[in-house]
Amino acid sequence: MEMLYHQFKRRVFGMAHRIVGANDAEEVAQEVFVRVFRGLAAFRGDSALSTWIYRLTVNASLSHLARRGRRQEVQANDEVLADVAAPPVATRDPGLANRIEVALHALPAGYRAILVLHDVEGLSHEECATILECRVGTCKSQLHKARARMRELLGPIGERS
Amino acid sequence: MKCDDVRSKLTAYLDGELEDTRGSAVRGHLRGCDACRAMASDEAELRDGLRALPPLDPPNALWSGIQARLAAEEVADSERPGWRRALTRVAARWRPMAPQLALGTMALAIAVLVLAVRYRDSRQPEPGTAPLAGNAPTAPVQQPLAMMAPMPGDVIAELASDRADRTATYQHVADALVEDAMTARANWPDDHKQAFDTKLAAFKAELAAAPEGRGRDKVYRSMIRYLQNAAIRDEVSATSLAGTRGAP
Repeated sequence: MEMLYHQFKRRVFGMAHRIVGANDAEEVAQEVFVRVFRGLAAFRGDSALSTWIYRLTVNASLSHLARRGRRQEVQANDEVLADVAAPPVATRDPGLANRIEVALHALPAGYRAILVLHDVEGLSHEECATILECRVGTCKSQLHKARARMRELLGPIGERS
Repeated sequence: MKCDDVRSKLTAYLDGELEDTRGSAVRGHLRGCDACRAMASDEAELRDGLRALPPLDPPNALWSGIQARLAAEEVADSERPGWRRALTRVAARWRPMAPQLALGTMALAIAVLVLAVRYRDSRQPEPGTAPLAGNAPTAPVQQPLAMMAPMPGDVIAELASDRADRTATYQHVADALVEDAMTARANWPDDHKQAFDTKLAAFKAELAAAPEGRGRDKVYRSMIRYLQNAAIRDEVSATSLAGTRGAP
């Protein structure tokens, strides 16, 4: 059980952190792991274990936001940004990581979820569709809209900024 | 290819999901369009920036918190009644089938409703036809007064229910029946007259000897039955006297 926790703790906590925000991430991650450990016996293997765990994470995060009535807005603040380490890969815009985190938290929760799954966690459209329980086409279109919204929020990026 | 077409495909293009010809067309447009190229550059930077976001380490307290919650849930499980644990297991097993089960239940409900409506319609008689004995309406039907009147055999039961002055009532009824029988007696043959007189005398003697209360009531009931038969048939034959139930 502990091995499973260590294998997935970063991804579960990271996804929860980026969808619900820093303050509630621990609570959501806790809920996810409790569900995972209590539901392992009933896990039927229809999908990969990782896909199942990510789905629990996304569902728990979105449910948490719905309960808190904060589906639309989780304002990033200094505390949120303080938790985020500097990106390991240098980009042409040195402050981009922090700006992305801020913009991410200003997105609607659905857009946030698809960006975190596809772009941050690097899952395929098929995996994202399974996790979000939608069609692959819907997933692609949501990603396109989410990136467009992010570009609007961020303004020009890179050398032109 | 127009700018709008290109911009709607930028995400797929940058993720390498466009097939060769369409990818080539987008690439060709980007070479000559500064605005679309800038947009593509921004989106590529954004995508790379998102991919480069660092993993986040959870706080150390997370694992201990999970263990505490698991322990609490196990305690709650142990305090839950056995039937609820079984119900939870069944629900967990069938939860993936919930959509199919919901559809099936809805279909079953509709089928039952349709059958119920058909059954109800089949029980309603055609206009102008009398209801059959097997599907007579359950509502009470207004009967003619003659049919509502108690049959002769019911008289005793009615009298028996009047407990306030049962013996006096029996006597009153018996007297009325004797009076009717004496009127009819004029037309009877002599042997019937004699049998009737003998029987009536026997009843009177028995009444005189019977103790008050139930004993006398019993004689009156036999007498009333005998007189009812006499009134109905309008005859008091010697043979019928012998066959009358309860006759002395």
